[in-house]
Formats: sequence, structure tokens, C-alpha cells
Amino acid sequence: MDEKETKRYWKSLDERKPDHAFPQDEFREEFGVPAMQLDRRGFLKAAGFTAAVAAIAGCSRAPVQKAIPYLIQPEELVAGKSYYYATTCAACSAGCGVLVKTRDGRPVKLEGNPQHPVSRGGLCAVGQASLLGLYDSQRLTGPLSGGKPASWEEADGAILSRLTEIRAKGGAVRFLSGTVTSPALRAQLGQFLGQFKDARHVMYDALSSSAILDAQEQTHGVRALPHYDFSKAEVLASFDADFLGAWIAPVEFAAGYRAGRAAEATPPRFSSHAQIESRMSLTGTKADRRMLVAPGEMGLALSHLAARIARLSGAVFDGAGMAASPVPEKVLEELAARLWSARGRSLVVSGSQEVAAQVLVNFINQQLGNYGATVDLEKPSSQKMGSDRALGALLGELKAGKVAALFLHGVNPVYELPHGAALAEALKRVPLLVNLSERVDETSGLAHFICPDRHFLESWNDAEATAGVVSLSQPAIHPLGNTRAALESLAAWSGKPQAAYEILRASWRERIFPRQKKAAAFDAFWDQSVHDGFAEVGARAEKSKPFRKEAVRAVINADVPASGMFALNLYPKVSMREGRHAHNPWLQELPDPVSKVAWDNYACVAPGAAARLGLSEGDVVRLEANASAVELPVLVQPGQQEGTIAVALGYGRQGTERFVQVGPKWLFGKKTGGADGRVGKNAAPLLRFSGGQLQYAGQEVRLTRLEQKSPLACTQSHHTLTMPKSLPIVGNERREIVRETTLSALLNSRKAAGEKGVAAPAAVLDLWPKDHPTPNHQWGMAIDLTACTGCSACVVACQAENNIPVVGKDEVLRHREMHWMRIDRYYSGEGEDEVSVVHQPMLCQQCANAPCETVCPVLATVHSDEGLNQQVYNRCIGTRYCANNCPYKTRRFNWFDYVREDHLANLALNPDVTVRSRGIMEKCTFCVQRIQEGKSEAKRQGAALVDGDVQTACQQSCPSQAIVFGDLNDAQSRVSKAMKNSRNYRVLGEFNFRPSIGYLVVARNRAEGGEDKGNG
Amino acid sequence: MADSTVVLRPPLIDGHKTFAQVTSDVCRGMEGKPTPLWWASFLTAFAVLMVGAAAVGYLVTTGIGTWGANRTVGWAFDITNFVFWIGIGHAGTLISAVLYLLRQRWRTSVNRAAEAMTLFAVMCAGLFPVIHLGRPWMAYWIFPYPNTRGPLWVNFRSPLVWDAFAISTYFTISLVFWYVGLIPDLATVRDRAKEGLKKKLSGLFSLGWNGSTRTWSRYEVVYLLLAGLATPLVLSVHTIVSWDFATSVIPGWHTTIFPPYFVAGAIFSGLAMVLTLMLVARKTMRLEEYITIRHVEVMCKLIIATSGMVGLAYATEFVTALYSGNPYEQFAFLNRAFGPWGWAYGIMVSCNVVIPQLLWSKRIRTNIAIVFVISIFVNIGMWFERFVIIVTSLHRDYLPSSWADYRPTPIEIAILAGTFGLFFTCFLLFCRFLPVIAMAEVKGVLNEGREPAHGHGHAQAAGKRAGLPARSSAMEGARG
Amino acid sequence: MRSYSVTLLLASGLVVSLLLLANSLGDVRIPGNQLGYSPVQPIAFSHRLHAGELQIRCLYCHFGAEQSRHAGIPAASVCMNCHRFVTATLGAMRAEEEAAKKENRKPRRVISPEIQKIYDALALDGNLQRDPKNNLTPIAWTKIHNLPDFVYFDHRPHVAVGVTCQQCHGAVETMDRVAQAQPLSMGWCVNCHRTATQTGIAGKAVHASIDCARCHY
Repeated sequence: MDEKETKRYWKSLDERKPDHAFPQDEFREEFGVPAMQLDRRGFLKAAGFTAAVAAIAGCSRAPVQKAIPYLIQPEELVAGKSYYYATTCAACSAGCGVLVKTRDGRPVKLEGNPQHPVSRGGLCAVGQASLLGLYDSQRLTGPLSGGKPASWEEADGAILSRLTEIRAKGGAVRFLSGTVTSPALRAQLGQFLGQFKDARHVMYDALSSSAILDAQEQTHGVRALPHYDFSKAEVLASFDADFLGAWIAPVEFAAGYRAGRAAEATPPRFSSHAQIESRMSLTGTKADRRMLVAPGEMGLALSHLAARIARLSGAVFDGAGMAASPVPEKVLEELAARLWSARGRSLVVSGSQEVAAQVLVNFINQQLGNYGATVDLEKPSSQKMGSDRALGALLGELKAGKVAALFLHGVNPVYELPHGAALAEALKRVPLLVNLSERVDETSGLAHFICPDRHFLESWNDAEATAGVVSLSQPAIHPLGNTRAALESLAAWSGKPQAAYEILRASWRERIFPRQKKAAAFDAFWDQSVHDGFAEVGARAEKSKPFRKEAVRAVINADVPASGMFALNLYPKVSMREGRHAHNPWLQELPDPVSKVAWDNYACVAPGAAARLGLSEGDVVRLEANASAVELPVLVQPGQQEGTIAVALGYGRQGTERFVQVGPKWLFGKKTGGADGRVGKNAAPLLRFSGGQLQYAGQEVRLTRLEQKSPLACTQSHHTLTMPKSLPIVGNERREIVRETTLSALLNSRKAAGEKGVAAPAAVLDLWPKDHPTPNHQWGMAIDLTACTGCSACVVACQAENNIPVVGKDEVLRHREMHWMRIDRYYSGEGEDEVSVVHQPMLCQQCANAPCETVCPVLATVHSDEGLNQQVYNRCIGTRYCANNCPYKTRRFNWFDYVREDHLANLALNPDVTVRSRGIMEKCTFCVQRIQEGKSEAKRQGAALVDGDVQTACQQSCPSQAIVFGDLNDAQSRVSKAMKNSRNYRVLGEFNFRPSIGYLVVARNRAEGGEDKGNG
Repeated sequence: MADSTVVLRPPLIDGHKTFAQVTSDVCRGMEGKPTPLWWASFLTAFAVLMVGAAAVGYLVTTGIGTWGANRTVGWAFDITNFVFWIGIGHAGTLISAVLYLLRQRWRTSVNRAAEAMTLFAVMCAGLFPVIHLGRPWMAYWIFPYPNTRGPLWVNFRSPLVWDAFAISTYFTISLVFWYVGLIPDLATVRDRAKEGLKKKLSGLFSLGWNGSTRTWSRYEVVYLLLAGLATPLVLSVHTIVSWDFATSVIPGWHTTIFPPYFVAGAIFSGLAMVLTLMLVARKTMRLEEYITIRHVEVMCKLIIATSGMVGLAYATEFVTALYSGNPYEQFAFLNRAFGPWGWAYGIMVSCNVVIPQLLWSKRIRTNIAIVFVISIFVNIGMWFERFVIIVTSLHRDYLPSSWADYRPTPIEIAILAGTFGLFFTCFLLFCRFLPVIAMAEVKGVLNEGREPAHGHGHAQAAGKRAGLPARSSAMEGARG
Repeated sequence: MRSYSVTLLLASGLVVSLLLLANSLGDVRIPGNQLGYSPVQPIAFSHRLHAGELQIRCLYCHFGAEQSRHAGIPAASVCMNCHRFVTATLGAMRAEEEAAKKENRKPRRVISPEIQKIYDALALDGNLQRDPKNNLTPIAWTKIHNLPDFVYFDHRPHVAVGVTCQQCHGAVETMDRVAQAQPLSMGWCVNCHRTATQTGIAGKAVHASIDCARCHY
């Protein structure tokens, strides 16, 4: 009855206690009894009275909303204003700079920091999504002792007392962590471990590159990861290194790669990129030339290349007894020639974990004089510092029970390493096991104490990802829960507890400040660094010794799997990496850029092999390698090497059972997650140690087919631009949705057209030329398909910015994913070997003649006088007519009320965007909230909006700056220029929908001058 | 008498009925206890209706997600059913209005039922535009009304708005037309009924009808006018429905042939449905002498005709597409015929074009059983026609990346079934409580009263007994 | 008998809810149109006194209006800028001074009960120092000008082009307790935008967009 009760529940935010106890309960109780034997008249009476009461209560007061201001106004903080703070992303060890957008004291969005020398404004999907990690309700809110909540005092007390014992006994103390790029933390660690006689800090990376470091040590005497500069590389050969996908520092590399491929620059700079790999990697999709080589043949291929380079450079290279090259001689010759012709401006990288292979890479780069040019060992990168040898040693110690105390930080070995079960047993025998993990996982579950570290958005920290660039992290929100920064924990355990802020300042005063010349006073330097989020200082010169030729040894033959067996390639997905972020629904729902499958990992099988074995998508197979087996559904992956099976790591994490709850619940809805409730299967057991390195590729695997199916949630059902063979339309087999050209063709056409570029296309006749005047602004976007790597950062950025719900596997299977921005992926090229791939970001095209607008009966989607195609949620009644009539199918319908029960996660919602309810249509708005914000700010300052003031979320996060957004009325804006580019075209332009988005043709640095190789 | 039948056209009504017999024959169904057959069919229909209602309830409380539609195929069963039922309605209007204006006197024994069918079909159809909405409770926004939003009107360019008007008009006219036609018969019912609710109601609704000549002439005028008013609707309504698709940009929808194509289809499907119902009714209610083989034959001929038109439309749109040189258009139709939904296309063509050709043969036309089966086939075929048009056009449109398949959920199927439940529930109630055959009009086409010998007086007598004056004179007056 | 009891029960229910209605009659609002809504506030703050008599600029307290989408309600600390010294009405303080002068003693601090509420919120003791015993208790004002959740209103551009506060909020400087002076319906917004674009604001030509996406996104 009482409106106040019910209405307050819905509307107002503060939970005030009800001021009087009248509400319906009283009625219900007393009603219940007599209601049983109500006769007709009684019932009618009841009905009558109830109606009357309802009517009266109905017109009593409407919801009361409270407004609670600050008591003490914080300085320079105005309610409802967004503030940006510079900090450093810690989602992986690449150390990209980010700007945190905070609103009323909580981070709501991460953006790349344009000034940051490492990431240069981009931010990858994982980085974008790490915002949601902050609001993860499964993060620990305080220390656990023996699995039970404890106070920090208790935990520290216990740990310290055990440590003193151990110190007395001189027991071995080990600190196992991932790569630690933070100088302050390293120092703190040194201090902590210094207390013990036998103490060691062991670093390993779940996605290890330690072969590279070891190889450097062998050839140059420095165990460091060289800093690769892709922007300077004119000829680029990558042996199974997915540097645009998930290898070391994809954002940094993508930015460099894009800088090296500027067809519009004068003179045109456009690197030539050869990818030699065994699976279809994201990097492979961008390559100009792609060669398929089994994982085991990588070393051999490198040796053949090395031999040729050596011949050209006149260096000695003993290639005696080399087996035939897996790569065609001709191709190899040509590659070698190209590399040689671009001495000092070329780059060879390899993702191999074979030290021998990496040594060959060093040899080649050395011969090409790339050291000091594209390969920098003077200012090395510390994005990967792990040593698999050290890890192996530690594992040995653990097995032997030699370790008295083991601290773990930022790693999950039980899950990430092979033989996890055995390791778990060994860990159980460690007398003191302390884990700084932020959650209870496979490893920390075994710990005696969990001392949760803070999320990077909650704490002070720093990172020197590449020598000379020290980035700062600053807290952007008051810590959620009673966690403690690793710095503080270590300080506490070293006997001198201190606040992270103090530790960090001290460390900077001591270590960083002296390394720079600019600022005289430390405080000024500090403030500047906090403001910028980083400081550029002198690198501690790692003097590398001259090249040791004797280290170089040819790999004379390939190890190919026995007949009937396959070679395994365990790779990190762009979204899931090593699985650290498996709890993040945004990443789980992000379709893989190549396979377009979400919510699963799977066994990628080459089409040929699939045909041979009669396998089709979704058939479950068992993969057996080094005494462990994994059962996975099959995905037929074009462009994969015949004898290879590729499986993504990072799935099957403990705790992903939570996603059973993720989708809408209804009668015929299926739950997300496999039989065990987890998302995907953990492929780590198939890893192996060999040559002291963690091997991801090459191990022999047996594939047996099981008689079951497991559907894959693939967002794309047709994978090429060619029409199905069964329905030939003579002359129109292929749709010109994505256009491709080659560099040579492009340059020729330019030359032909003269320097001023191709004349603008003839104006299309239009029935309503003045239909939609745009007096002030006309927003438009240009997407450079050459630059776009398909990395999908934009997709997650869009999801974060626009409060896009996560719908779960079943809904994706029903083609109801909600992403406003998707990246269409089309395969092309006949024959399995030269499959090439194009990525096309597809979002609402904001058509001037928008088909959706005419058909909406209630004017819920109409055109704005700024050229926007507006979608008005609160007017929409959900006929779905607009979506049917949208030629680009970019509209998304709210089929259900999507789950938003996690109140903590809801803190990540963008307060500037409506959360859409059930039954209405939504779509890309060109981030209209940002446009309005920009205009309001400009108006406030009485200034005109300048190009770049308004950036869409997708544009902002794009590591390769493929997206340009701006005002087409402003002839000088970047987007107007891009629209005049000769490569510019409109998708389905022939229908005169007049989309506001122009696409720039895919250009590849290929020999053949033909317009394109015809997708198909 | 025998020779008289020779000189006159063969009678429309067999068995030399007298007016009295007509009255009693028709009213028989309404008086006395309903047959077990009626009960059985009514309960079944009602049960199905309830299932459908439950499904709709679940849909409205849970969301459109309970259907199989997806980001690519936004409409499927919902609009298919809508168009299907609207189509069914058309035959009723055709028979009652158009054939009336065309002086097709054989219509008299089927028009009442056909009109009822129109009403019920439009009811079923009208359900879908509402429940297919994401927010059905906002459905009223589709009508323009003054508001405090600035004001904010509706989008008059949108076919859905036209739909709203078309359907509501259609329903109103059909209802009035049907009711006016009922008045004289209601009077009959009134006069025959004993005291009680039935007498009261029929009295109320017969508007105090007294069979006076003046009443008759007024009645005839109104009826004629209404017929004139309803006739254009036969064309307009389905034309407008077809614009829902024709005005879009989706290959396979964006076709100028749609209006005539849809109207033909509508009448085709409607006739089939009338036939189905008639054959059932005449058997169960023993009306063989009123709904004669001749009626069945005439209907069959109409079906052949409309089937031909539909077939022509199929051919035309296909040829147009292939000739158009628009690859998207071409693909849409190839995909329709040979794509994943080819089987549906097959059903559509075979049921709507191939099978009806059997009706060329008199032997089949006059074989009730076969005709019945064929009429069922046509109904199925026409439902599939709409399904094919909607789903196969949507599921593979411009960008191959967003092509998708479609699979209906049990909820959708339940709702489809539910509409049939609603339809038959209403129809059975109608059979039970209202005269299935327009007595007054049937009497007008009897040979009775045209035979100088004895007919007239007899007629008078019969008329009195039936509580009705002989109306032949009035009829002639109206027709002259 | 039973039906009688039921009747009684239902009747009593009716009565109770009637009473409820009666006590809530003070601030009846038909949802949707809250014109004239003027709830009792936790502190009887008078805009007439502050904005009217004392001529304090609106933006002094509601400084957010210039820089943010929300005008904002001032923090208690803002009140304290003055009320650190002004603890009661002028009259009361004068009187106390008079009295003090007569009895030649130091004037005692007189604190008016409403202003006391600010001090309580800030947990200040008798001589306005932070009292560690009590803890801070935010003041929960009742929001008067409510817009639906799907509307994004932004004060900035309105203030920037010189729309006066009174135009939408009414003559607040004359209100002791603020009441909603305008319907705040979509029609009301849109029509003002239309006219503004035609006639301009304060002599300046303005472009007040009536695009949906100006407010709905």
C-alpha cells in the first residue's frame, strides 16, 4: 500500500529507515487468515476496499530524492566534473601510461596517456578492461591467515615471528614474482631479502621471453631484453613473434609499427613485413608476406636465413649438414636480400623459446647492423625479466623441500606452469607460504597467509619498463577494502613499516632524481613527474660486450612430430593473455580478433587437417601431450600450418565459475561455462620445460576425436566477402565491403593523379540535397584499415565508455552480443598458404540518409543538426524496425534486462551515459556525451571547439591511431583531410546512405601491382 | 416446378427450402444443447488459447529475448503471423463487400461466416504489432496525441504508423459491416427466443427491428453504403502492410511489386481459410444444402485465379531481381530459393502455386475431402510465404559479417498456436450463439416466391411464422 | 460474523491510509509534474535572507553551476566561511552585546538553533573547534528540482550564455523555503530553446539546440 516504501526502493539512493511501521506486511498477515474462507460478498468487499486504499495511497507523495553535499569541500573538486590523473597501467608488465578519468572520487575510464613515451596514447583491450578489475567483488578485502580473515597486525605478527625463526636457522627464503619493473619495489625487495643469509628473488613470466634474454647474455654478455624499435624498421621479419597481439608490449610495438607504415608521408614510409609462423596470429594478419612453418622448423628456417645473411655480409657461418629449408629457397633469398638492402633499418624478431634460435636472431641482427639502431641493448627494456632457468632451479628446491619460506607476488604457478598438481604438493610442504595475490586462486589458495596487494589504481608505485623512462602510479580512488600495497607489506616485514607514498618518494629521491638534469629541486621534479605520470631520465648504461661469434650454432634439422601426431602451439589470446584477467567479463566476451570466438578456448586446426580427420567446428577432441590431456572443441582456422594445433592459454581459471551468473536468466537460457562451470580449459599442463626454457610451441601432441559437440560462441558466421559457392552470382561473387590495394599500385595511381592527390569523387545526385543541414558541426570519422591491426582495444574502450552490458555465451551464440563497435574479420586468398586477412571496425555509420530514421514510428531515432544519427532511449518502444533496416547491422537491441546485480561492478558505469533498460534499441552514438561535454566546456571558456578537443573512446584507445574523429565542416580538421585521401571510400557508398564514416583502403607492401587479390 | 427449375438458373440453395425451413435450419445450431463435437473442439481451442496467453504473459514479463530473433533477424514469427492473419481477414471483406457489389448472390450463404472470420483474424493479427514491441506498455505512443513533450508527434513517414491506422480502420469497418448484416437475423433470433437473457440481448442488439418495408429499404441502403466503404479496404489494408517491407532498403523487401502481390496473396489465403471453415461448418452443422458443392466450386475457382496471381508475383520478383543487375538483390533471391531456407521457399511455392493447380479438374473441385486438404495446404503455404519474405531477406543482407541464422523458441511457437486457439475459440462461440448463415439474405435467393403458382402466399405464411415478412419485394427494390 | 470482521479490518485499513494521505497532504505531488514542490529541509535555510537581503551571489554557494553540469549544494565548510562568525541573527547577537556591556562581561556566544545544526554536522564544540567525541554527519537536503534519469541537464552552457538562475528556479531570493517554480517538463525546455534561438539571450545570439541528443544520451 505505502507508496513511500516501494517507490523509495526504486527511486531514491539513500536507504533511510522507514519512519513508521504501517506498510503492507500488517495487511498481509491479517488478510491471510480470513482470506482463506472469503465468500463472494466478502471478496467483492475486500476488492472494493483494496481498490479504494490503493487509490488513496496512489495519490500520496511521490519519491523523495536526497542530495548530500560534502561537509568539507575538497579543493579543486567540483561535483559532476571529471578529473584525469596520470598513472601507469599494471595489467601487464609493458608499463603503458594511462590517464584515469575519475568522477566524484571513482575511476570510470582508463585512457592512454598521449605524452607517454612507451605507449604514445594507446591502450590495449586488457588495459582498458583492468578498470573493471578494480571493482571486482571477488578481490580480497583484507589479509587471510590460514584461509580465515585476519587483521594486518595478526598476519604481520605471525609472519615476522616465523621469519625470525627462519633467519635464526638460516633457512632459504625465496620471493617468486613476475617481472618487477618497479625500481622502488626491487629496492624494497633487496632490503627485505637482505635480512636473510640464503634469500633469492626469482622472477618468471607466465608468457616467458627468457630465451631472448639468455641469448643476449650468450652473444652480448648482457642478460637483458633489447628494446625493439619497430618504427625504424623498414624491413621486418618476425619468426612466430605476435608483436601486434600479445608479445611483450603490443601497444608500444603497434604504435611503432604504424609509424613505420605511413603511405601518406612524404616520402612514403612503408615497411615490408614478413611473418614466418605456424598459426594465424594477429600479427600474421597484417603481414605483407606470410610463410607457414611448423613450430619445430623455426630454428632451421632461421639458420637458413642466417646462412644467407652471413654470405651477404661475408661473415663465417657454419651451416654444414643443414636440412632443406622449410621456407622456399626463393622466398628466403628474397627476404635475405631485402633485409640486407635495409642494413641498420631492418629488424628480425622471434617469439621462439629456443635459446639457439634466439642466438641466430641476434647473429642476423648483428650482421645487419641493427644493434644500436632497431635493436637497443644500451637502453634495454625490462618488460620481461623472468628467467626460466632460475624458475627451474626454484622448482627443484621446492621438490626437494629445501625452501623454508616462499613469498609469491603477481604469479599463479600452480595454474600457469606444467605439472601444477605436483607443484601444489610441493608448495604444501613449504613451512611458510605467503602470497600477495589480490584474490584466492589456484596458488594463493594453498598459502598460509594471503596479504592482498592493491589494485594499481589504488596505490602508489612506479615502473621502469624501458630504461630511462620511469613511470609513476598514483592512487585514483580510496582503497576498496583493507588491502595493502606490496611495498608496504615488504617494508613491514623488513621491520620498518612505512607508507607506500613515503617509500616511493624516498626511492625517487635516491634513485631516479639523480639520473636527470632538468629539475634542480626534487619536489619540483616529483610534482612534475606525478603530473606527467612519468619522467625521462638517463638510463644506467648496461655496457654490452662485443658479439661472441662462437655462441652461434646453426640448428641443422627440424624436430617434426611423428606421423599421425601434431605439433602443439600454445599461444596467448589478445584478450586473455596468460589468464591473469580471466575474471574480467569484458575480456571474456571480447571476440578473439582472428577467430571471432568469445567465452572459450579451442583447438585451432588447419582446414586441410580438419578435412583429413573429418573434423568440423565444435567437435570436441582430446589433446594429449607430455602425460596430460585437455579436451577442447575444434575451430577450423584458415592460414594455419597443416601439422600444427594451436590452443590459447589463460582459460579454465578457478573463479570463472562466477560467469554462470553472467547472462540473462530465462526459461530456455543456457548457462555460460563448461561442465566444471569454468570458462574454457587450462592448456598449461601441455607446456613443457626443455633446454631450461618454458616451451610454448613444438611439443608433440596426439589428437583423438570424441563423439561430442560443444558449440563455439562465434560472432561471425560467414568469414569471407565471397558469396557461398552454392549461390554463384556470375560476376558478383565478391562484395566490395573492404577494398585492398598494394603499395606499388597506390603510389602509381598517386603519380598518375599528380602530386595534389586524386580529385574528389564526383558528387552523387541526391533527391534531398538540403535534407539535413549541419550549420555548426558535422561529425565524421575516418578509419584507416591499413593501420588497424584488429587488436580490439576500441571494442573494450567502447564497452567501458558506454555502459555496454555483458550478455554471456548463450546470448552470443544466439547472435545477440551487445558491442556497439565490432571488428569484422574477412579471410581472403585462394589456397591455404596465402590466406590473408582484413579487419574492418564496424560501428554505426551515422548515415545522412539513414534508413533507420524513416522507419521508426515514434521518432526515437532522428538526425541531429550536427550530422549525428541520434538514438533516444527513453522514446524507443522497441519495434526493431530500425535494426532490420540498417544495412550495416550495427544496432543492438536490449533483449532482456541484463544482469547488473554486482553493485561493486556497477561503480564502473559511466555516469554520463544512460544505462539502457529492457526492450529498447541502442547503438554507437559517436560518444555524443563526449561531444556535448566538449561543447559545454568550450562554451564555458567562450572558446571555439578545436580539432581534437572531442575524441571518441575508440579513437582515444587505438594504439595505431587508425581512427580519426572530428568536424567535417572544418576543412583543416584531420578527419576532413583523411576524407580527401585518395584511399578513402564509403562502405556501401553506392546506395547513397551517405555514411559519416570513411574507410581508408587496406594497402599492403606486396609485389603484385593488381588492385587486390580478390577476397575469397 | 421441375421445368421452372430448368428455365431458371440452378438454385443456389438445394432442397427447395421454404423460408421457415431456412430459419429453423440455421437457428437449429443455436438452439438446444451444443453437440459433444462442439464441446470437444471448443475446449481444445480454448486450451490452446490459454497456452498462447501464458506464453504472451511470459513474453511481456521477460522480454523479446524469449523469442529466437537476433541482431540480424529482428522480425520473424511475430510479423509473419501478423501478415498472415491480416491476409486471412481479407477474404471475408471480399466476399461480403466486393461480391455484394458485384451481385454475386451465391455469397449469401457464406458471407456471414466469412465476415466473422475477418473479425477474428484481424483480432489475432492486431495482437502482434503490440506484443512484438520491446516495451508493449508504450504501444500508445504510436498514435499522435497532444503531449507535454514539446510537443512530440509520431513519425508520419513510418509505415508502422500507417499500419496502426489501417488496421484499426479495417477492424472498425468490418465490425460495423458484420453487425449491420446481423440485425435482421438478430430480430429473428429475438422473435424465436423464449423469455430470458437471450431474448433480452438479441432484442437489444436487433435495435427494435420490425420487418417493415421502410426498415428494409433503409437497411439495404446502409448495407450498400457500408459495402462501398469496405471495398477499398480490401485493397488498401494489405497494400499498407506490404509497405512495411517495400519502403525498406533490405534486398528482398525493397520491391515495388509488393502491394498487388500482397493483396492477391491475402485474398488467396483468405479464401482458403473460408473454404476450410465452411467445409467444417457444413459438415458439423449439417448445412450441406446451404453451402452446396456449387459454392465450394466457385471458391475453388477463385483460389485458382488468386493462386495464379501469386505464382506470377513469385516469378516476377525473381526475374526482376536477376534482371536488376543489383548483386545484393540477386543474391537475396538466389539465397531465398537455394540458401539455408530453401526448404521453406519450396513449401511456399508447392503449396501456393503447384498444389492449387489440381483444382482445374472438376472431379477434384467437387471432392470435398480433397478440396479440404488443398485448402489446408494453401493456408500453410501462405504462412510460409510471409516467413520466407521476412526471414530469408533479413538473415543474409549486406555485410556478410553479420549474417546469422534464426531458430524459433517454444515461446514463439506457443504464441502462434495461441492465435489459432483464439481464432477458433471465437469462431466456435460465434457458431454457437449467432446465425452462421445470413438467413435474411439466403431467403432472398431462394426460388421460393419467384414461382407464381403458390409461392407467394406460402411465403407470407412462412414469413409470418419466421417472424419475417417476405423481403423479395424489398430486395428487388433495393436492387432495381 | 467473519465477514463482519473482514469489513472492520478493511475499513480500518481505509481509515489508516486516509490518515496517511492527510499527513502527506502537506506535499502532495502528482508524479511527473512537481510544480510548486517545496519540501521541508533539514535546516530552515532561507534564500530570502541570504540571496535577498544579504545579496549573496547565487554562484558564491552554488559555484558548480559555472564549471560543472551540477550547480551543487554548498558544503557545510562553505557555510562556515560566514557562520564561523555569524552564529545567530544580528538582533540576538546585538542584544547579547548590549547585555554584556551592561554587566560588563565578555559577550557569550549566542547560537541560533538552525545554525547550531551546521555545527553539529561538522561536529564542532561550543567554541567552534572540532570535537573528536562526535563524528561528522552529512546534511541530507531534499532535492527539489528533479529530472528523469535519462535527461542530462548541464548548467555550464546556460550560465555561460547568461540565462539567469531565476529563469528556471524562480525568484529564489524571495523564497524562505525554496519551491519548484517551473514545470521542468520536456516541452518547457524545448520551447525555451526554440525561442532562445530566435530571440537570443541578453541581446546575444545563441544557438540553443533542440536535438534530442542535446539532453538524451
